[in-house]
Amino acid sequence: MSMISKDEIRHLGWLSRLELTDEELTKYEFQIREIIGYLDKLDTISLEEVETVRLRREVSGLRQDCVEPFEGDALESAKNRKDGFIKGPRII
Amino acid sequence: MRNLCHLSAEGVVSGLKNRDFSAEEYISQILERIEKFDKKINAYTVVNSSGALEKARSIDKKIRNGAEEGGIKCIGPLAGVAVGIKDNICTNDLKTTCASKMLTDYISPYDATAVKKLKDSDAIIVGKLNLDEFAMGSTTEFSRYGPSRNPWNVNCVPGGSSGGSAASVAALECTVSLGSDTGGSIRCPASFCSVVGLKPTYGRVSRFGLVSYANSLEQIGPIGKTVSDVMMVMNSIAGTDDNDQTTIIDNVRSSYVLQRPKRNIRVGLVKELVEGADVEVSKCIYSALDLFSSSDCKCEETSIKSVEYALASYYTIAMAEASSNLARYDNIRYGFELSPDSYEWNKYVEKARGSFGEEVKRRIIAGSYILSSGYYGKYYLKAQKIRTVLKQELSSLYKKYDVLIAPTMPILPFKFGEKINDPLKIYMIDIDTVIANLTGIPAISVPAGYSSSGLPIGLQIMADELQEQTLFNVASLFESIAKAQRTPDL
Repeated sequence: MSMISKDEIRHLGWLSRLELTDEELTKYEFQIREIIGYLDKLDTISLEEVETVRLRREVSGLRQDCVEPFEGDALESAKNRKDGFIKGPRII
Repeated sequence: MRNLCHLSAEGVVSGLKNRDFSAEEYISQILERIEKFDKKINAYTVVNSSGALEKARSIDKKIRNGAEEGGIKCIGPLAGVAVGIKDNICTNDLKTTCASKMLTDYISPYDATAVKKLKDSDAIIVGKLNLDEFAMGSTTEFSRYGPSRNPWNVNCVPGGSSGGSAASVAALECTVSLGSDTGGSIRCPASFCSVVGLKPTYGRVSRFGLVSYANSLEQIGPIGKTVSDVMMVMNSIAGTDDNDQTTIIDNVRSSYVLQRPKRNIRVGLVKELVEGADVEVSKCIYSALDLFSSSDCKCEETSIKSVEYALASYYTIAMAEASSNLARYDNIRYGFELSPDSYEWNKYVEKARGSFGEEVKRRIIAGSYILSSGYYGKYYLKAQKIRTVLKQELSSLYKKYDVLIAPTMPILPFKFGEKINDPLKIYMIDIDTVIANLTGIPAISVPAGYSSSGLPIGLQIMADELQEQTLFNVASLFESIAKAQRTPDL
């Protein structure tokens, strides 16, 4: 079974930008190890000769790249707005 | 006064056309029923009372005007039908929250294509329906609004993730609903609540406006009390969409029509899926097979050998895609109240995203692990190859059989809290449903019977790609011989 440490979970949390409490780290350490351990089942079948799947034969093509005016306010759900702008945290 | 909540979608449309009752009367009864029973069932996240009544009145007006002009041709094919929409499908006039704090108060500026098509068919949207947060789960226990309850036994889970979509139809709180199915999320609750639920062929229904979780697996699909109702909704929502590049081109679009199967249907029972099921479930599925046999179907047991790898493949892909898709939630464009003042960008996003629920975080972390550098070949690539293997195996089976049957769920609806602390145990119950998502084929769950304790058991019927018509014919035949459709006492 894959060994995944608490530090690794912390690092994955950072990569995924998820704040995790100590309690969560402890819980996830065990659970993610168990889940990944189950996924290791994929190692038990030989797949070298197999190609990855193509699900569709024919799909709808790309639509014309033309401007369509958008009615309505696409950003009305933003909570932090000021003077017609969206306010975010500082970047540097 | 006649109880109109019991009507099928077909019954509603014909009742309105014959002017047996008005859309307003019917919608009022649906809204009263929601008011009366939804405290118990918790199927809805939002109820659209005033909007629904207004729409009902406008339909009544159309019917009156049409009748005066000598014929009611001006109303849509789903005129007046009360529809509930899973709360991860966008509506421009009602909130779409995905049962998550991360989408508190979110109102999309557009309708999902499926919703737009329902509206164009004159269906009436009565509200949004509860789900596991971002559709991740099989019980609705991961909703921030609390779980929906199973109308057959309110101490049991309704299944998930489209738990509200199935529970509302079973409890007669709407006539039909839309759900989404990534690994069984329509069929699982349909089975647990004893209603009919269809996962269409991948690409048959536009995903435009469905909040993405695992794009290569998921489809929007209908839930109803009867096969015919589910088919009616499909006739309205299916089709090519310029806004979803993965929709299949249908040059010869014709409607599905229920037909008595023309020749003897060849039915294959997937042995591995029955063997792994609860005793009462497998007994019920074998009885279903007997019913098919007695209706002149050619029945056999068959086998999908690669089924043992299906779940590992499914969870690898679902978690990897979830972790990528949910990266967009930074709480800037939409989200909950959290002032960005005094935060650095990464710290802010990390803090805000900490508000995802337990299961969502678990899948994002596992997905990030799977996609970590060096692991692509070990997990994701192999999982994709398993899809090819399964697909090839199914293609050869569909040369021999028109449909494959199996349980929808390997177990009966269970009590709340029973599996919530053991994620892997919950994942395992998706074993029978993920096959259709991995291979893109259509699959339907139809009520098959009840356990000794009175809990529903669903039969899953799977057909080859784009063979929805076959699925409807066979499911409808089964419905008429099994006669397992019932209404729970609330």
